[in-house]
Amino acid sequence: MTALALRQDGPGTETAPGPRRRLFGLVVALVVLVVLLVLSVMIGSTAIAPSVVWDALFHSSADIDQFAIRDFRLPRTIAGLVVGVALGLSGALIQSLTRNPLADPGVLGVHAGASFAVTAAVGLLGVRDAQGYMWFAFGGALIVTLLVLALGSTRQGSSPVVMVLAGVCVGAVLGGAREALQLTNPDAFDAMRYWNAGSIVGRPLEVVWPILPYFAVALILAFAVSGPLNALALGDELAVAQGVRVVRTRVLAVIALTLLAGGATAIAGPIGFVGLMVPHVARWIVGPHQRWIFAYSILLAPSLLLVSDILGRVVMRPAEIPVGVVTAFVGGPVLVALVRRKKASGL
Amino acid sequence: MSNTPLMRRGAALAAALMSASLALTACGGDGDDTGVKAAETRSVKAAETRSVKAENGTIEVPVDPQRIVTIGNTNLPFIDLGGEPVGVTEVSASDLDVLPEGQRTVYEAAEIVGSSGGEVDLEKLAGLKPDLILVQFHSSDWDKVGKRLEAIAPTVFWGLDTEWKAFADAIAEAGNVADALSRQKAEFKEKVAKIQAAYGKIIDGTSFVDVSRGDWSDPGTFYIADIGCSEIARDDVGLDLPEAAEGKDPLAYESLPFEQIGELSKYDVITYPVDAEGQPTEPFVPVVETNTWKALPAVSSGRALGVFCPGNNSYGPVIRYLDSLDSALATLPAEK
Repeated sequence: MTALALRQDGPGTETAPGPRRRLFGLVVALVVLVVLLVLSVMIGSTAIAPSVVWDALFHSSADIDQFAIRDFRLPRTIAGLVVGVALGLSGALIQSLTRNPLADPGVLGVHAGASFAVTAAVGLLGVRDAQGYMWFAFGGALIVTLLVLALGSTRQGSSPVVMVLAGVCVGAVLGGAREALQLTNPDAFDAMRYWNAGSIVGRPLEVVWPILPYFAVALILAFAVSGPLNALALGDELAVAQGVRVVRTRVLAVIALTLLAGGATAIAGPIGFVGLMVPHVARWIVGPHQRWIFAYSILLAPSLLLVSDILGRVVMRPAEIPVGVVTAFVGGPVLVALVRRKKASGL
Repeated sequence: MSNTPLMRRGAALAAALMSASLALTACGGDGDDTGVKAAETRSVKAAETRSVKAENGTIEVPVDPQRIVTIGNTNLPFIDLGGEPVGVTEVSASDLDVLPEGQRTVYEAAEIVGSSGGEVDLEKLAGLKPDLILVQFHSSDWDKVGKRLEAIAPTVFWGLDTEWKAFADAIAEAGNVADALSRQKAEFKEKVAKIQAAYGKIIDGTSFVDVSRGDWSDPGTFYIADIGCSEIARDDVGLDLPEAAEGKDPLAYESLPFEQIGELSKYDVITYPVDAEGQPTEPFVPVVETNTWKALPAVSSGRALGVFCPGNNSYGPVIRYLDSLDSALATLPAEK
């Protein structure tokens, strides 16, 4: 989901809690995440006793239900955790970078690039499995974001507004091309029908592991630029006055968020709202402190994703609803509530 | 002496036969004349019409149509009945792959007039000068092109919900290939009776489930097949296979996550899709590769049977399916 809104509040309009309360909140978020990780392994379309779940993890045998836990629920939970972390952090980065509290990674064309690349891979090259999609999605996201970065850079440097406009335009062009490809190729249409919904079902760990090194690099970059991004929130001139290298900060932030959002999309397909909502909520809790926002986003986003996924498993049991659909259902009302808040959390 | 009258009668009979054969030979010598007569007969037959009932009403079709175009799902069933259409719409590569060579040759000799039901090149179709068009596709496609097809030639349309045996009967009647249909029906009955006789004891009291996965299926999902070939195994052969409750959508419409594979352990025998060589079909490979599948009692005891289903819309592929089912059931032990 790509959302843009004019910034209405300046930084620091909220009463930010002190470091102790932030830390306490962080611990609570961590506990919630751990509980959800456990629930994600325990709850599914098949009723499996907790003792079997325990045995599957710690006393493995060739029991059928144990295989279901180890082969399906565990990889799915790990995928949910990894994708959630990536989406949350990339959302925090894009909102900070564009100084727009209602931006998500989609504004830089990440989803459009990944979707187009996967459609082309399916329609033109006959790629039909999750491992195959992964690299095309990742490559598509990276190439398109670099293109947007180039288009958004002027002689005066990179402008968030121009960058976002470039992202929206490139996204629209690629969206049209993708639609055309799908309409002329029924195979691509079938394959993309599900991929576009965003799901962590049927993603083996072989799809997750190769992306992790990129996420690690992005994590380091994100926290490295968190301080300069705080300064940038005050405006370019003040940031420069504080010694921040504006262009370098923006380029590093774009690289980090592209690796994160591109990797998440490669694993699960485009999942909306998580990267939009969670950083917003995190900012609401901790105030305009990027490092804390990043830390909270890393914990809250996978929680939202896992809750949505668990709901998707049980509401139509034994069939399931893709997590991307559930996050949209959960995210829609929350987004409305956020937009209607008198004091949307500033950056 | 007593033989003399007999000899006379024999000579008279021989003379009569010789005269008759001379007369016949004389007639046969005028080949062109006979050919013209035959062509005239065909032409008269083609000009004659009879009424056929279909979803688009009662249609007057030629008694002996010579230039038939098939559209949508009528392509392969008509060819399966020995028909030789002059125009066809495209069929999927997977359907072509499992077509017997002779039928594939017939299909490839026909002019392609469209990629799918609703996307027919009407100009090209009209250029083939068809005397009959056979159509089966979605009613929304019919709404788009039906009237224009009917303006080109007598057109017989069936919707997608037409039961396959009734569909075969209707195609055979409209396309004047009823003789082939009779032979196929007889063979079908014979195969079903043979399976029931050979495996009746095994079939009785054994619970079966047919599972499948298509290349359109969502990743990490499969489905319980209760339509198509599975329906034939249940309704004609008598296998105890699950089916949807009355008034509900077929089970096959519901995608089940892989963790539901374990639920298959309650069935005695599992059937799953294989290709003509007996290997699991490409879309089904992810299922058989899971540890859960391998741990199923039916799988580990050799009661998971790969069955080849080349199609279920006409008797030819259904008979091939029955042959495959026959071979698969033969591998089951006599007792559970």
